[in-house]
Amino acid sequence: MSPLLEVIAAAAAVAGLLAVGALALAIGDGVAGAVVAGRPIRVLPLLTAPVARAMLAARTGSTTTERPDGAGRAVAPALLAGLAALAMVLLPLGPGVALADPDTGFVVYSAAVAFVMIAVFLHGWSPNSTLPLHGAYRFGAVALSFQIPFLLAMLATALPAQSLSIVRIVEAQAGLWNVVREPLGLPIYLVVGLAVGFWGPLNLPDGDDLAGGTSAEDAGWARWLWQVARLSMLVAVAALGAAAFLGGYFGPILPGPLWVALKTGLLLAVMAGAQHLLARVRIERFVGVAWVLLVPLALLNVFVSGAFLL
Amino acid sequence: MTSVFHRMAAAADAPVFALAGAGMRWAVQDLLLADGITLVDSPRAASILLVAGELGPRLGEAAARVHDALPHPRATVLWASAPDGLAGAGAERIGPDADPVAATRAVFRDLVLGGRPSEPALLPDVDPATWRGVGPYGQGGSGMTGGTPYGRPMAELGPDRDGLRLDVLPTRLGPFFAPLPAGLELDLRVSGDVVVEARVTGSEVGTSEAAGGSAFVRALTQPQSIADLEMARARAHLRWAAEALRLQGLRAISLRALELARTIAPGDSAAVGRFATAVQRTGVYRWSLPNVDDRRRSLLADARLGPVSRACGGVDDERLADPAYIALGFAPITDVGDGVAAVWRARFGEASQSVDLASRAGSAVTTVTGTTESPRGRIALGDAPTARALEFVPALVEGLEWGDALATIAALDLDLDEMAALAGVTAA
Amino acid sequence: MTGALIDLSFAAFSLVAIVAGVRVFRTDSMVRAAFYLLASFAATGGIMVLLGAEFLGMVLILMMAGEMLVMAIVMVMYMMNPAGLNPMVMVHQPRTAVVAGVIAFLAIAGVGLSGEVPSRPAPDPAAATAELGRELLGNSMLVFQTAGVTLLATMVGAIAIAAPRGRHGDAAEGSEEPGLQPDEEASA
Repeated sequence: MSPLLEVIAAAAAVAGLLAVGALALAIGDGVAGAVVAGRPIRVLPLLTAPVARAMLAARTGSTTTERPDGAGRAVAPALLAGLAALAMVLLPLGPGVALADPDTGFVVYSAAVAFVMIAVFLHGWSPNSTLPLHGAYRFGAVALSFQIPFLLAMLATALPAQSLSIVRIVEAQAGLWNVVREPLGLPIYLVVGLAVGFWGPLNLPDGDDLAGGTSAEDAGWARWLWQVARLSMLVAVAALGAAAFLGGYFGPILPGPLWVALKTGLLLAVMAGAQHLLARVRIERFVGVAWVLLVPLALLNVFVSGAFLL
Repeated sequence: MTSVFHRMAAAADAPVFALAGAGMRWAVQDLLLADGITLVDSPRAASILLVAGELGPRLGEAAARVHDALPHPRATVLWASAPDGLAGAGAERIGPDADPVAATRAVFRDLVLGGRPSEPALLPDVDPATWRGVGPYGQGGSGMTGGTPYGRPMAELGPDRDGLRLDVLPTRLGPFFAPLPAGLELDLRVSGDVVVEARVTGSEVGTSEAAGGSAFVRALTQPQSIADLEMARARAHLRWAAEALRLQGLRAISLRALELARTIAPGDSAAVGRFATAVQRTGVYRWSLPNVDDRRRSLLADARLGPVSRACGGVDDERLADPAYIALGFAPITDVGDGVAAVWRARFGEASQSVDLASRAGSAVTTVTGTTESPRGRIALGDAPTARALEFVPALVEGLEWGDALATIAALDLDLDEMAALAGVTAA
Repeated sequence: MTGALIDLSFAAFSLVAIVAGVRVFRTDSMVRAAFYLLASFAATGGIMVLLGAEFLGMVLILMMAGEMLVMAIVMVMYMMNPAGLNPMVMVHQPRTAVVAGVIAFLAIAGVGLSGEVPSRPAPDPAAATAELGRELLGNSMLVFQTAGVTLLATMVGAIAIAAPRGRHGDAAEGSEEPGLQPDEEASA
């Protein structure tokens, strides 16, 4: 294949994986909501609702605000979706099989997560409107707080692999998954993952107390695109969490890629449940916990992982 | 081909932004349970503007502004409503007894399939002041940061608690800000996420006739069945819970509260208890609700704001003055912990207690008129707990972060309908 | 990657870095300026990756995201300019700045042109990362440990100041400006 075809095929594969994952999360979220609310689960509407919403979004016009930053409004959802795709490219699907396996895969993923805060801030700042701006400021505080626990939790998975490559991080879990080797890692990663996707208890920038926060001024396809980008980011976070902590493609009987899908699905199910079962955390509380509890715990996690290797 | 896509779009739940006018707050809340429509928090996310009930004269123009914020294609459904501001909209009008869900679905379908034209803007799109062409960027000002850019005054500088002078952003919320009751307008000055100053600038929803009278208002003038009153109280607390839970991001459990409010039967206090446990398991008491410091507690304790005051150390309850309640062995619920979480516990406790009282009250009626204990506190002719609570709002929220401020306001259960109804009782 | 692709990427990154760098000064808002600066840095990070310094390039991109955001927010906080969306002039003392800029450019260009250009081929990225690790924990350990402890102390201090019980009492007590005299605060 020519390099151009390879790039196109890879892009299509990533987009497909993210789309399937985002659809699964949207449907799972609907099911979890119905179960918690004690309402009947109406299968067909649940399955068709995401498509119908997409069509309605395409049918609906866009709106503008007073003196927005037009470029920022256009770039923010694309940036968030692009970051999800960038993370997804690194996902190992089988032994040595990933669309890209840079030696610094861990740092690339961390940079993608760091840029989520730029995407969300840009999305909230660019409409030039109060509620989105508050959401943007909030995410600044949230994102700066989760950065260090995130880096430390991921770093501990790089220690047994003796490499920053995500493929090597999965390979190092052939005998023992990281979730067993370093039990603190996955919970910290999940907390941070909810914050990265501003989802459920950590939906602070787009929270209900801001009537939608950074997306309060979005209409039509812009709103839809932002929601899809956010779901994609959650899928990427879940997929890479499964790779870094749940042994990726390792598992008995079933083929590797299926295990990746199952483990990603498990983490997505946890996220869908958290959305409906856990109340939104006060921002002050989250920032405090992140700095005072998660950072030391993540450090402890690194030390323990290091001690095992000596 | 296009029509296939349009038909698929028309199959989606109709996104509705609802303006709850006088006396229609709960009717609008019930729409959360309806299939085929979704109530959204921002007019930008809606296709249909649903105006329920009468809007006060000051709210007409605000409603028109909300109308113009909806993206095209948009339509308005006026449900027992004829507000001045929306007169030119070409809206669908339905009567008070019509089914709003079916009407909204029909309008939405027509709109998406192209059978109904999208409504044009009601207000002219003009700048607040002339500014174009003035200043180095044509932004209407001069100097490095441009004077009054775009005809709007610059934000002010204000002190923060670290002794720095940082910018303070004036923000107006309402009268149709989803987390607040419709009609309530707040002027906030926020520094970052902290509310530095708050003022209540509007609390009008409609006339007292339209606001209607609850059983509690009727109890001011004539004896009422205690069983009915207590069930109304339990339902009010559960409906409050549905709103407050939604504000905390718990939409699914909020629907459970609403369902329970509609179906709860006298004596079924176990159902309320199970629900309160489910709420507690969400961690909302532990990590979502703010503290209430001593200064604020002492403000609220003696304000006779019902569960709010009793959660802050107060003991007043008008029901204690009624021998009929004493005969039932009634004792108010106090000592429920600290902070806004205590108000939540007090309301759930009272809902449970009221359901229990209702089953034991039999045909007993109230024996005291003139004052009554509503779910929001002491009411009397011309004296509404919401009116008293509104006076505390600035003192309560200043210094709090945005989310904490809104959670605190939500805990007060401001009911502008009750306020309007009681104002009407004095006049009569 | 093939040579042509690398050349093409280098040209693209360079173009983004330069154009975004110029836009930093030609835009009319602080937040936009910060985002342009971020784009410029990210493109520079991309060039570092092309040069074989994969780890350093990615870390540069990673670090700049947070730094530019903080910079934007702090600038907006101090500039009485709601959200930094109001237009403002982004340059001070333009003449001095132009002179200083030209001198600095000439100096750097002079060093670049007069110095010897090494002709070693770029090392394998993995080896480069390993080498960097050895450097951090070897010869330069003292320097990096000193910097690390200093940064940690700064972080602890920042948390202490930002905590709800900050220097001026409980945050829940409101946001009143502290008095100029210590006694004033105590008696209030």
